[in-house]
Amino acid sequence: MIKIKAKDVDVFYGKKQALYNISLDIEENQVTALIGPSGCGKSTFLRCLNRMNDVIDICNVKGEILINDFNINDKSCDVVRLREKIGMVFQKPNPFPKTLYENVSYGPTIHGMAQSKQEMDEIVETSLKKAALWEEVKDRLHEPGTGLSGGQQQRLCIARAISVRPEVILMDEPCSALDPIATAQIEELIDELKKEHTIIIVTHSMAQAARVSQNTGFFHLGHLIEHGPTDKIFKNPDNTKTQDYITGRFG
Amino acid sequence: MAETQHTVKSYEEELKNLNSNIVKMGSACEEALGKAIVAITTRNADHAEEVIKDDEKIDKFESLIEQQVVNLIALRQPMAIDLRETVTALKMSSDLERIGDLAKNISKRSLLLNETLPKKLVDCLIRLSSSVQKQLKTTLDSYLERSASMAIDVWEGDEKIDDLTNECMQEVVKYLKETEKNLSDGTHLLFVTKNIERIGDHTTNVAEQIYFLVKGEYLEGDRPKGSEPIVTGEK
Repeated sequence: MIKIKAKDVDVFYGKKQALYNISLDIEENQVTALIGPSGCGKSTFLRCLNRMNDVIDICNVKGEILINDFNINDKSCDVVRLREKIGMVFQKPNPFPKTLYENVSYGPTIHGMAQSKQEMDEIVETSLKKAALWEEVKDRLHEPGTGLSGGQQQRLCIARAISVRPEVILMDEPCSALDPIATAQIEELIDELKKEHTIIIVTHSMAQAARVSQNTGFFHLGHLIEHGPTDKIFKNPDNTKTQDYITGRFG
Repeated sequence: MAETQHTVKSYEEELKNLNSNIVKMGSACEEALGKAIVAITTRNADHAEEVIKDDEKIDKFESLIEQQVVNLIALRQPMAIDLRETVTALKMSSDLERIGDLAKNISKRSLLLNETLPKKLVDCLIRLSSSVQKQLKTTLDSYLERSASMAIDVWEGDEKIDDLTNECMQEVVKYLKETEKNLSDGTHLLFVTKNIERIGDHTTNVAEQIYFLVKGEYLEGDRPKGSEPIVTGEK
């Protein structure tokens, strides 16, 4: 089933066009990887999906992005509600300078998702369990989140993102600052999370895209060159540019 | 290979090297088959000895290619066309190695033949082996040219090999029936015929792999098959 439907999306930074006519369907409960060289527009596209580009004054987004058949670029869209539904995890772990508990409870608090302390405790525990961090931190929930290792911090950020039960999770290079073990833990987590969430991940690691995703989109110079099942893209892509990129032939 | 070059030149070199070893191994097999056929049809013992001796070279190519493939997978993680090049090379090398073995076996048997063979039987063997040699040549050319259509020609041509094998088998059976003293040579010739046919089968395997290499998809459907061998000579 299609969760997100991008139709003819153009993005401009001032006069410079960053994305050209992107149309892409994202399937529900699957992992979609966006790959491409630096500056190809993959992160820009990712940021379109929860209107993160709104915070950049000169950025102008055209076209439709339908999530559950609702165009999020429509004026009537409540951006705060949108970002509750579409969570995001960034390249560098960015826990709030607060306790582990507060990091995870922050979202549910501002969205008024818990009626009692007990309910909030449950949300925090479930989120940390889903982020595969609970066992490691359950005895130190009131210590600062910034005291964790890089990999744990990133899982904390994932716990924070899933605490508000988003339908979609956007990940912008979530493992680029992590060692291989922490990376494997996040990848395992992505596999688990896709059962309940739709995941879109931007990654520079082709191997990671191949490992974690079911669908892959290749961006180049602001164009979506090819999009399809990951195994097809990595075994037998249709487009020569895709092949040149994934085989390391880019001139 | 793809037209554009890899950014990492050493990777490009490794793939080229793998490619060139397959080509060399293929030519070695072609030569072995050619000599083995001459050995059996003209009873040329020198050719037979050469094929037996040179089989070691073919075996060495196989292990070299295997090492190269394992290294490429471990160290380069090839993708797309590079992945297909790598995997295909591994599979091709094992089929080519079998072709080398079968040519060697034909050569060994040629040294054990005692009698002068009937012309009709020799002609039949020549027809069969020429077809198989042609198939092998087309296959190796299709690898060089990355030609899926040539690979399909080979794939479809296997049917003819089956029919020619059948004809040869019947000739051998006829020869066996003539007199008891033909028993030893006749038995060798049954194996020789079967070996040539098996070389054809391995060649078709290679052609299938080349098709996959070029197209990224597998040839679908059953391989065309000729008539079943009739070993009793009675229809």
